[in-house]
Formats: sequence, C-alpha cells, structure tokens
Amino acid sequence: MPTLLDARGLVKHLGGRRVVDGVDLACESAQIVGLLGPNGAGKTTTLRMLYGFLRPDAGSIHVNGVELGRDLVRAKRAIGVCTQDDTFDGDFTVEQNLSIAAHYFRPRPTDLGRRVAELMERFDLVGYARDKPETLSGGYRRRLMIARALVHRPRLLFLDEPTTGLDPQARMGVWDLVDGLRSEGLGIILTTHYMDEAERLSDALAVLARGRVVARGTAKTVLGDLVGEHVVVIDAAQGAAIPGWLSARGRGEPASVLGVWHLPVSGEELAEFARAFPALRYEVRGPTLDDLFLKLSLQP
Amino acid sequence: MSWLRAALEWQSRAVVGRHLRVYLRNWYTSFLPPALEPLTMLLAFGAGLGGYVASLTWHGRPVDYMTYVAPGLLAYATFMTAIFQSLFGAFIRMRYQKTWEGQLTTQVELAHVVWGEVLWAGLLATMYAVIVSLVLVGLQIAGVLSLDLRWLPALWPASFVAACGFGALGLLFTAIVPTIDHMNLPVFLVVLPMGMLSSTYFPLEHPVLVALNLANPLHHLCQAFRGVLIGGPAAGHLAGALLLSALLLAVLVPLDLRLLRRRVLGD
Repeated sequence: MPTLLDARGLVKHLGGRRVVDGVDLACESAQIVGLLGPNGAGKTTTLRMLYGFLRPDAGSIHVNGVELGRDLVRAKRAIGVCTQDDTFDGDFTVEQNLSIAAHYFRPRPTDLGRRVAELMERFDLVGYARDKPETLSGGYRRRLMIARALVHRPRLLFLDEPTTGLDPQARMGVWDLVDGLRSEGLGIILTTHYMDEAERLSDALAVLARGRVVARGTAKTVLGDLVGEHVVVIDAAQGAAIPGWLSARGRGEPASVLGVWHLPVSGEELAEFARAFPALRYEVRGPTLDDLFLKLSLQP
Repeated sequence: MSWLRAALEWQSRAVVGRHLRVYLRNWYTSFLPPALEPLTMLLAFGAGLGGYVASLTWHGRPVDYMTYVAPGLLAYATFMTAIFQSLFGAFIRMRYQKTWEGQLTTQVELAHVVWGEVLWAGLLATMYAVIVSLVLVGLQIAGVLSLDLRWLPALWPASFVAACGFGALGLLFTAIVPTIDHMNLPVFLVVLPMGMLSSTYFPLEHPVLVALNLANPLHHLCQAFRGVLIGGPAAGHLAGALLLSALLLAVLVPLDLRLLRRRVLGD
C-alpha cells in the first residue's frame, strides 16, 4: 500500500519571493497531519501545491502512488478538498451541491443518490436539503463543505482551517466528524490556527516557518524541540532584570502577551532562574503550541 | 497545445453542463429577454427610426429598414449575449460566487473552467440566436419582414463559432478588470463601439469605419447574415467572421488562461 501523500523538496516562488523552500510532507492512511505555522509561513501555498492548485517550481508530489505533475487528473480523483473560504455553488441547494460536485469526477461516484443521502444524513444536513447554502449557519456551511469534499469517496482529505469562525459547539461537532473520518481510514492534512484543535486532532505535526519545516513529530516532540520543557509566566512590570538575564544567555526579548511575559526554558534554565530571582512571583506551566507560534513570530 | 485539447475534454463539458442546468432551471425568465429584445429593437429602430429612413440600398436593390436591420439584430444578439455572459456572468462566478474555486477543487482544471465559460457563452448565444430567429419567423409570417428564411438554421452554427470568439474576448476583460464597477470601461470603450459601429444598424460608408470593421468579426457576421436572409454575397463575410473568431480563440484563450492563472490561483 503506497503512502497516501508523499511530497518531497517542494519549492515555490511567488512574486519573486521564495515562499516555500524545500518542504517534505507525508501522510498515511488513517492519519491526521497538522500543518501549522504563523501567517506568511507558506502553509496555504504548500497546501495549494499539494492539492494541485499550484505547480511547484521544484520537488515532487505523489498522491496514492500517482505523481501529481505527471497525471494531475488521476491524482485528484483520490483527493478531497475543503477550502478555507466557502466555495459551494450558490446557484444550487444544499443537496444539489453534493450531486453537482460529483459530476466533476471521473470515474463518476457509483450509486450517487445513495452516497448523497448518506452524506446528508451523516453531516446532519437532511433538514436543509432544499435550502440554499448561504442560508445555513457557519457550522452547517462547514459541514456542507466537508461533505462535498467527500462525495467522490477520496482517500486523502485536505481541510484548510475547517473551524475558523465557528462557535465552540460547532467546532467540536466538526472535530467529531473529522475524527470519525480518520477512523474510517482517510488520510487528512489539516491546517489550523487553533492550537487545541491541532493538539487534539493531529497524529503528527509539521511546523512551517519562512517556507521551511522547522519541526515535525507529535505535539509533545515539536514543543520540546522548539519551545522548551517549561514556560515561566511572569508579570512584565515585576521583571525588569529578566531581559538582562536572558541577554547573558544569548537570548532575545521574551514573548509578551497583555503585559505578561511567557518565557520558555529548559529544566536546567528553570533551576537557574529560580536561583537568580528568588523573590519574584511567577507561574511555571507546560509549553503549548501558542508558545510555539509566539516564538516563531518573534524570530526574524 | 494542451490548452486546445482541454476544450474537448469531459471537464469542460461538465462545466458547460453546470451552467446549462442553472439556466434551464430558470427557463421562463431566461427565454424572455432574447424574445422581447428583438421585438423592442425592431419597434424602436425599425418602426420608429425606420419611418424616417426613406429606403436603403442593399447590393443595388432597395430594402425597407426593418428588413435591413433584422439580420443585424440576429448577429447583435449573438455578440451581446456571448460577451455579457463571459464578462459579467463569469466575473460574478469567479469573484463573488467562488464557483470557479469550488470547481478547481475537483478534477476540473483552470483550462477547463476557461473553456467551459467560452463554450457556454457560445451555446447560450446560439440559443438566444435561435429564439431571435423564431421571433423573426413570426414577424415574417405577420408580414412585417421580407426575408428569405430558407437557410436560417444554417446561420446558427456560425453564431456558435462567433460567440465562442466573443466569449474569449469577454473573458479577457474578466481577467483584467479589478472590480465589477470597472466593467464600464470595456463595455463603453470596446463592446458598445464594436457593436454599434459595425454594420448592425446602418450601412457602413465612412472610410475609417469601413477600414476598422474589416477586423471586426461582428461586422462580417452581420453582413453574412444579411447576405443569406436578404439575398446577396455571403460566403466572403461568413469566412471572415469564422476566421476572425478562430483567431480570437487562438490568441485570447491562451492569454485568458495565463492572466486568470495569476488572478485565480495566484501563480
């Protein structure tokens, strides 16, 4: 069984800038790979190359054993795409959106009527079958977008920020659906800005910064490699001496959020910190992906 | 030449099929404009303005203005339908409805979307031409027109080819105008002059207009339709219309594709 997605050495220039710079990415069946990174890291461009919107300047992409550059149409038969923006067809009803999408695939999905009914049921869209998609709430629009991406029974699904703008209940509804799809054997590439979403759903993470993968692995490995073992949280107003302490260790300014510094440290550094500032009041917590984003966004 | 091959691939037909499905669902409103427009135009230009035109000479014989203008209306309907569909219809689907982006997440590629729009402009304009033809037949039966309608159906394939060329021209503007408000520029600078200053409504006599219209496929389409429906030489103009339309397709479709690749895909 070939790897569902095998991308190697992807490079893309846009507007004279090297936006993606040698990205490798792989995804197996029944696996969710989270693609993370701050704005401008090259996530969307990478994703657009992976699902065939953009041609890479260098590198190769194989989907289910088929090279995208050689047989794009065949490779795309195995791909389902849920874009970040709603791109359903506003001239058709919710139900028709699923059937019209199926007409853009060859071989045509077998038993289409049953497939559409099954997706309508599964994504809880039956009550809206004859409505226009724009009348749906944000959560149901996302459900329709994901259902549409699945109508032709793809093996690899791309979800580009699938829960952006949704309320917590709707987000968790989408998580359940995505989790269910993984358990059925679908490979899923997920981009998100929600760190809890990436941590809960992803089996593996790839973190992009300035067009390169700067870390990959489980959330725990990535955080340990890039952030540190602990994060010291301290009121910036109390810590006038801290920048000097950091500077002596060759480190820059700590990340500041609403007047509070979040200072990633190793176990050894934490002990040194405690010795250096015995009178300070601070909190020590485990690192999160938010810390990772803050750190990456501070890097030049 | 993969851009050319895409015209014949199933994805382009699937895109046309989608547009046709939307159109036929609203058939009762969709069929009204092409039926009413020639009636209004014939009333305005034929019965109204035509009343002030004593007579027109067509290849050495006098014809009444209504009869002169009727083939022009058939060609004009082909032109305007195709160009407005690929201008406003395609722009709305690309920019506001995001229909193109949805199609591109499937096995449809941008070349198919572009050809789908061009072929749909051709098909829709031909359907309009058929409806206008039926109106002309009705007016002929009512004794308003004096046309030779034997070869009328033979004009429809020519309408299709020319409309595909006009569709490619409309898509060029769709590819370059920044917002829908900027559509006024191509409409008033290119589309209306091309439509009104051809031989649609009056015979061309000014040497500058005559020279300019040698390169205007709409002018040749009008004259070919007149040749067939009123009587007179048609083959040269028909060849001119078809060749210029083919040239528009050969030059503009690859250019549209290139510009739209940048605009839609950011590539």
